[in-house]
Amino acid sequence: MARYAMVTDLEKCVGCLACTIACNAEWEVPTGFARTHVRSTPVTGTFPHLIQSFCVAQCNHCDHPPCVEPCPSGATYQGEDGIVRVNQSLCIGCGFCVDACPYDARYINPVTKKVDKCDFCSLRIERGQPPACVATCTGHAKFFGDLDDRESDVFKMVYEKGARRIQSADVAPGPNVYYLGREAQTSLVAASFPPRRPKLPRAGEFWSRLVKPLVVAAVGATFLGQAVAFFQQLRAGEKEFED
Amino acid sequence: MRNDLSRRRFLRGTAVAGVGAGGASAASHSPAAPPGWHGATRTRTVATNCEMCFWRCGVLADVAEGKVGKLEGNPDHPLTRGRLCARGNAGIKLLYDGDRLKTPLLRTGTRGEGKFRPISWEQALDLFAARLRDIKEKYGAESVAFFPHGVAATFFSTLMKAFGTPNSAEPAFAQCRGPREVGYALTFGQGLGSPEPVDLAEAKMIVLIGSHIGENVFTSQVTAFSEGLSKGAKLVVVDPRLSTAAAKADWWLPIRPGTDIALLLAWMHVLIAEDLYDKEYIARYAQGFPDLAAHVREFSPEWAETITELPARQIRETARAMAAARPAVALHPGRHVTWYGDDSQRARAMAILTALLGAWGRKGGIFLPTAVTRGKFALPPFPESKRGRADGAGTRFPLASEEQGVTNGLIEATVTGKPYPIKGWIVYGQNVLESIPQRAKTLKAISQLDFMAVVDVMPMDQINYADLVLPEATYLERYDMPAIVESAKQPYISIRQPAVEPLYDSKPGWWIAQEMARRLGLEAWFPWKDPDEHLAKIVEPMGINPDALRARGSAEFPGRPYIEDRLPSDGPLFPTASGKIELSSPILKQLGFDPLPRYTPVPNPPPGYFRLLYGRVPVQSFARSENNEWLDALMPENVLWINASVARDHGLKDGAEVILENTDGARCLPIRVKVTEGIRPDSVFMAHGYGSRSRALHRAFRKGASDTDLITRVQVDPLMGGTGMRVNFVRIINGALRNGD
Repeated sequence: MARYAMVTDLEKCVGCLACTIACNAEWEVPTGFARTHVRSTPVTGTFPHLIQSFCVAQCNHCDHPPCVEPCPSGATYQGEDGIVRVNQSLCIGCGFCVDACPYDARYINPVTKKVDKCDFCSLRIERGQPPACVATCTGHAKFFGDLDDRESDVFKMVYEKGARRIQSADVAPGPNVYYLGREAQTSLVAASFPPRRPKLPRAGEFWSRLVKPLVVAAVGATFLGQAVAFFQQLRAGEKEFED
Repeated sequence: MRNDLSRRRFLRGTAVAGVGAGGASAASHSPAAPPGWHGATRTRTVATNCEMCFWRCGVLADVAEGKVGKLEGNPDHPLTRGRLCARGNAGIKLLYDGDRLKTPLLRTGTRGEGKFRPISWEQALDLFAARLRDIKEKYGAESVAFFPHGVAATFFSTLMKAFGTPNSAEPAFAQCRGPREVGYALTFGQGLGSPEPVDLAEAKMIVLIGSHIGENVFTSQVTAFSEGLSKGAKLVVVDPRLSTAAAKADWWLPIRPGTDIALLLAWMHVLIAEDLYDKEYIARYAQGFPDLAAHVREFSPEWAETITELPARQIRETARAMAAARPAVALHPGRHVTWYGDDSQRARAMAILTALLGAWGRKGGIFLPTAVTRGKFALPPFPESKRGRADGAGTRFPLASEEQGVTNGLIEATVTGKPYPIKGWIVYGQNVLESIPQRAKTLKAISQLDFMAVVDVMPMDQINYADLVLPEATYLERYDMPAIVESAKQPYISIRQPAVEPLYDSKPGWWIAQEMARRLGLEAWFPWKDPDEHLAKIVEPMGINPDALRARGSAEFPGRPYIEDRLPSDGPLFPTASGKIELSSPILKQLGFDPLPRYTPVPNPPPGYFRLLYGRVPVQSFARSENNEWLDALMPENVLWINASVARDHGLKDGAEVILENTDGARCLPIRVKVTEGIRPDSVFMAHGYGSRSRALHRAFRKGASDTDLITRVQVDPLMGGTGMRVNFVRIINGALRNGD
């Protein structure tokens, strides 16, 4: 089974945002949201001795994804290939996984009211195409592949060139998005965008947020059922009349 | 074709097969996938050229049910190989922008008021022809001026020449690349062309003088830049601001703005004084070396330090590093280089330095173009103008391009009526109010016109001043003159062809130009009935099948990029009068200019003022793309970079709103500050392409600030008429105080 990973070469990334837009286009992400973000670190140091770097952020497809357990409906799951996905038909949009993600990689799609995030462009890789962000990257800075394949670019970058992942002693879910670059650069990125401690739902919140969508769904279903019955009756009535 | 593309495997080994085999695989996941463009309903894929800027990258438009669903880079395109920038990826949002110009419009209100009524194409084209005839009868054909932008303007250029006016000018020359074309042509006998042939991918050292690659994105240039860096090229970035490129540099030289020529002279001084230049190359190919050596003797790094505020030690160190990397030194000639009015001379200095490093025509330096023969229709000769050009190209500005013209020269002529009146303006795809400085002067010129017509896709500010507005179809809906690019290692032809039918009542430019020609009795210059016939003629001598070209989008030809590859049929290596690289320029001497570049002192900002610098962000092209839904969402406003010490002095925190006022009292719209150590304390910086004044651009209207509002002064380059625009000083007015200020 494959072990997928993404590597950004920070030396080559110029922060051009092509990845963000290509991803938005591929997945029809509503305007104002994104599955792939380009973040810029603050400029650090004192003029003229300065450093700055970009960080392309997305779902890290962690080895131990903190988003899976809080999902009450089983929509968020990890495949055998390591890719963390959201089954849209099961998602109830409660947002627990959004809070649980240490990398702020998830959002609730305001159109579908369901959670969305990077899935390493599963449908593209299935077709033999690279993920949209990798395909378009103007700086040729993004790499995708299988860490179990010793010949892959990502294997070499991670195990031979020392690409690092962003996690801390506290929060170490084993992310599979890596960053390659000068030590000063990767350290700056790691310091600027540390993973946050997953926010787990409090007991009360758990039920209120979980129950609300279910109640809405239930009420909706009831209403819909009644409406359908009503119209059916209406049609039936008309039919009768016509007959 | 699509299948062929998909077969380009990117994953090694069995990775892809592995996905399908798993239980929780992507395949089994598909039915519950989020919405998105998955190509399931794709009916066809059209290979075409992008026009979100003028680099003309290769695009594949996936079409389903009559709509473009997604744009992808075309992996077969010789220049861009499947990559697209943010703007290229967002092209759909230009195609489906509800603010597009939808129908021909006739002005009903006063100029600038923005009141129009829709008219038919028949009426619009008849009116256009009648008005042009009026001007021709009353003042002569030359009294119509043409303001084009981009290759798509070719058909209109033909129309204007056939009509009898030589007065055509685009900002690509006098507001952009003109000085470098002139400076390099004076030195090497030929300019650079676009895309500029800089061998970034093979360089051992890359030198950027103000070029902010990464923020200024041309896809293949970014790819080559990062390839060069990843292969170990050293990087020198000369920029008053910590640009994206500067943050990657081995040496960032935050130079005092306007003093680049001093730095370049000092670099030459070190190369010659320390005997580090390419002696063999200079002896073989160049003339004027003794004059150059004598000229730069006094320009030591210590001399330059006092001017540039860069340490002499650093100047020496970088010069030596260049020498160690030569000839593989890619000294980028820049693109927008109209800065201080001595810009052609700065380009000369860069060209001379390139020659000293032996880098012209060498791997890792500047490579050579290879000519591509194209088919041409036998057209009648264009009528000759007895009165000549009105913009000063070839006369007042002796080295200005007569093909590209001097926009500001045409505006000046329109205002003054000298050398003769200009009474009609035809604007195509150019944003004359944002791309040309001194807006007040441009507006004054417009107010004196009898007729102004604008052909555009979007309702830019300028349409409000036009008598007639003609809606052009977007690049995804039209055929254009193919791009024939010689300044690539593999020269190529790539085409633009419609992916979908034009929306609304918009029409392709070729059709508009042809219909205008028909009404003006100029059909003889358009002897083709449709794009197919046009394309067939152009590719005739290339030995390629037009259908195959349409399917693949492009075709490449063998290139001879380096000196050792050249054939006698390529012509002389250095097509100067002497046949050699002219280090000291006989042409400049003859014209009464400095034959060798010289540093002219630049003033410091007056107390309390800062030098206004401007540049690019990756989501904007010129002032054309600001209304794009996706791009707007990523960077809805520009920000003003100010040094942290300046922020302290002004009591400003990051994100505070300010306005700027220049020394002439001109102000911009409010803009938020970005407080950073990454800019010199004597300068401020903002991105160009914001602060639109067009109400018809619903997303872009009044978002951010326009640098053009503050560019009321220019320093004109006496060689070629370019407008140096970094000569304006601004003070910062704290937003909270500004009402009472």
